[in-house]
Amino acid sequence: MDRRNFLKVAGTTGMLIAVSPSTIGTKLYANDGRLYTAYERVQLIDADGNPIKASALKKETNYVFNYPYRSTPALLLNLEDATQKNVTLKSEDGQEYIWKGGAGAEGKIVAYSAICSHQLAHPTPDDSFLQYVQKDKKTMSYETSGVIVCSSHLSAFDAKKGAARLSGPAAEPLASIVLEVAADDTIWAVGVLGPDKFHDYFTAFKPEFKMYYDGKRAAKKLVKISAPTVTLNEYTKEIIQY
Amino acid sequence: MKLLKITTLSFLIASAAFASPKADMAQDMRMMLKAMQSIEGAGFYNDKETMRKGVKNLKSGLATLLSRDAKEYLPDEQAYANKFAKKSATMISMYADDLLDSLNHNKMDDALENYSLILKQCTSCHLRMRSY
Repeated sequence: MDRRNFLKVAGTTGMLIAVSPSTIGTKLYANDGRLYTAYERVQLIDADGNPIKASALKKETNYVFNYPYRSTPALLLNLEDATQKNVTLKSEDGQEYIWKGGAGAEGKIVAYSAICSHQLAHPTPDDSFLQYVQKDKKTMSYETSGVIVCSSHLSAFDAKKGAARLSGPAAEPLASIVLEVAADDTIWAVGVLGPDKFHDYFTAFKPEFKMYYDGKRAAKKLVKISAPTVTLNEYTKEIIQY
Repeated sequence: MKLLKITTLSFLIASAAFASPKADMAQDMRMMLKAMQSIEGAGFYNDKETMRKGVKNLKSGLATLLSRDAKEYLPDEQAYANKFAKKSATMISMYADDLLDSLNHNKMDDALENYSLILKQCTSCHLRMRSY
């Protein structure tokens, strides 16, 4: 092969991989484009509009912010224990993807879509059936605590492993919100990894959107610039946990 | 005779006041099942009036679910899940209202979508309460 042909082959291969990284393997990575969707990079801020600092997050506290849409809640957690790195997860239809681990200096900050992958239970301003259960509390959904629980049908998800399903009727993990912690300790949401349920969610809760968000169209607006982040106790009137 | 009338009347009032929530619930469930069947049947033939009547009956059937603490009528081993049952009832009521709204705006697609969402809430609750 002469120099010209070599450069042609190398260039074409490089372009192919750049366009579709999954051609070099069967696993889907964050930049694959199928189970990862990049959304606007949004800064997490508190109720007063100040940036939330990663080092200021309380351990094992359920924080909630809406991302990537105005009406889609996500859980933000600073876990007590280290997260596992490069966890291979699988969607219900068999697609694999890699969850790379927690963010922040200790790698313990995680965020997940708070829409249950089973029947879409989620926190609302009135109640929440889905949340992280602290290690010193008990749940009927799983033999140990320190897990995310949906108390609607008692599914449990592993907060340390990309919200992998642990037990219950849910057939796949919760989608992950991909976070970045900047050098100044601020936290940013940049995309969604895994099988998100947004389409089904927008179909199923239309009347609810009228009540809380002035209708479906407003509920489907993408979050831009910043996402107010509060504790679950502040987000909802009642936390229901079995 | 007067005494007999007063006694009978008192008995009927007392019976109504102390009617078993579980019996009321069973009756309401049957009413809701019939209502759902009528909404579905009417939906197939674009019979909006029967659908409206079905929604009205469905909402009547929700009375016990919405007005009493679910602990009173759930099976003992599921009594703790009273808030889940109440949430299901609230969602059914919300979808029923939206179904009517859809009919009033001549949006049959939306109305039938609401019907399927009501059905999903029913089965979701039965899955949990009956441990399917």
